[in-house]
Amino acid sequence: MESIGINWQLLVAFLINFLVLFGLLTAILYKPVLKMLDERAAKIKESLEQAEKIKEQTSRSEEQIKAAVEAARKEGQVIIAQAAQIAEKIKGEAKDGARQEAAAIINKARDEIKLERDKSIAMLRSEFSNLTILAAEKVIKESLDGQKHRKLINEVLEQSSTFKQN
Amino acid sequence: MSKLGCSSRLVVILGIVVLSLLLASFAMGPLGSKLFNIEVPTDLQVSKPHVVLPSEAMFHIGEFKVTNTLISSWATILILCLVFFFATRKMKLIPGRLQSFAEVVVDGIYNAIQGVSGEKHVRTFFPLITTIFLYVVTNALLALVPLWGTWGPIEHKTEGAHTFTIIVPFLRAANTDINLTLSIALVSFCFVEYLGFSKIGPLKYIDSFFQFSELGKAFGRLFKGDAKAFISGLAFGFINIYVGLLEILSHLIRIVSFTFRLFGNMTAGEILLGVMTFLVAFIAPVPFYGLETLVGFLQAMIFAGLTLVFGVMAVTSHHEEGAEHN
Repeated sequence: MESIGINWQLLVAFLINFLVLFGLLTAILYKPVLKMLDERAAKIKESLEQAEKIKEQTSRSEEQIKAAVEAARKEGQVIIAQAAQIAEKIKGEAKDGARQEAAAIINKARDEIKLERDKSIAMLRSEFSNLTILAAEKVIKESLDGQKHRKLINEVLEQSSTFKQN
Repeated sequence: MSKLGCSSRLVVILGIVVLSLLLASFAMGPLGSKLFNIEVPTDLQVSKPHVVLPSEAMFHIGEFKVTNTLISSWATILILCLVFFFATRKMKLIPGRLQSFAEVVVDGIYNAIQGVSGEKHVRTFFPLITTIFLYVVTNALLALVPLWGTWGPIEHKTEGAHTFTIIVPFLRAANTDINLTLSIALVSFCFVEYLGFSKIGPLKYIDSFFQFSELGKAFGRLFKGDAKAFISGLAFGFINIYVGLLEILSHLIRIVSFTFRLFGNMTAGEILLGVMTFLVAFIAPVPFYGLETLVGFLQAMIFAGLTLVFGVMAVTSHHEEGAEHN
């Protein structure tokens, strides 16, 4: 034992040395560094979770945006369809109005023409009767009183089909 | 091109210097001087390594001898504490260089321990295992620093016709003191046994040696009237007790093997370096210094690792092991 140097005093000294080192290293190395490593691990975990959350949120809002765009598109299509319908309707109405107006104008024109014709016919008839009276006066040289004469002519005219009114 | 030429010329010059140093130191050494009949002045001779196993006392405090190895171990403690004190003085989430170093050391050892012991027991093992590793490795590496083991008063001792030159170094590799290795071995032993008692419970831990519970079961069989089972159970019970005694002996032998493994390796390393330096003073010892660096790391790892493995064996009782296997 002596030849290799085992000595209880030294042994105790080395034991104390080791325990002192153990205590010191625990205080200045293990505790602070492990604490820091734990803290960092926790922080990394936390930030990873946060990133995951943000990613999820982003994808969710992206979906929302997509849905909103889709809805807007559909609405726009509906509006366009409605507008087209309305336009069609307006066009139809305008056409109808124009047709009706045209018809009214034509009718009016026809009425007026008829009125003109009747007037002309009436005028022609009175002119013609006067002429006939004049002619008859000249032919028979007999002057009838106007009243009788007119009645006579009218009777003739009534009988003739050519000058029948209408 | 010119840069390359310059550097290759430098290599050639360096090679010549190294080679001539090697040859000169070989020729001046004991082998060369005998071979070429060169008279080397004694001041230029490297003294023959003088192996003294007990550490030498440097001074006394009362009865207590303060030895050179004790001073070395103080230096180790001082250096470790200084480095890690400054490394961890202001801990930051984004570490500086020294803090990174401390974190790499702690994290590396922590993960290594976790790989062996599992998540559950890391924090139990970590402080002691790490202290053993750092202490042993720093002792071993400090021993390779210049002045360590060589700086000290030179004594000339005459023994018959021969004159010895003996250097008693002020600082001697701390691991070459058997008291140091024995002290760590004792701590390791106490740690392992303490873990066994505290983590599994004293009765269960003792039972894991002797398997008294098997003996109890055998007596139980006797009460049930199964005499045959009782006799075989009794026989196995006594065998188990014998095995338990052997196991206790093996636990005690661990102290001895721990002590002498480290002490032997480190002392052998010191002697090897001394002999190489004695034979060829320059260049030739360099590879052996590399080797000793490796050995220092290895021995520290072995000491810490074996303590860890024994500790893990102590905290996982045989019952648990059985349960895991089934």
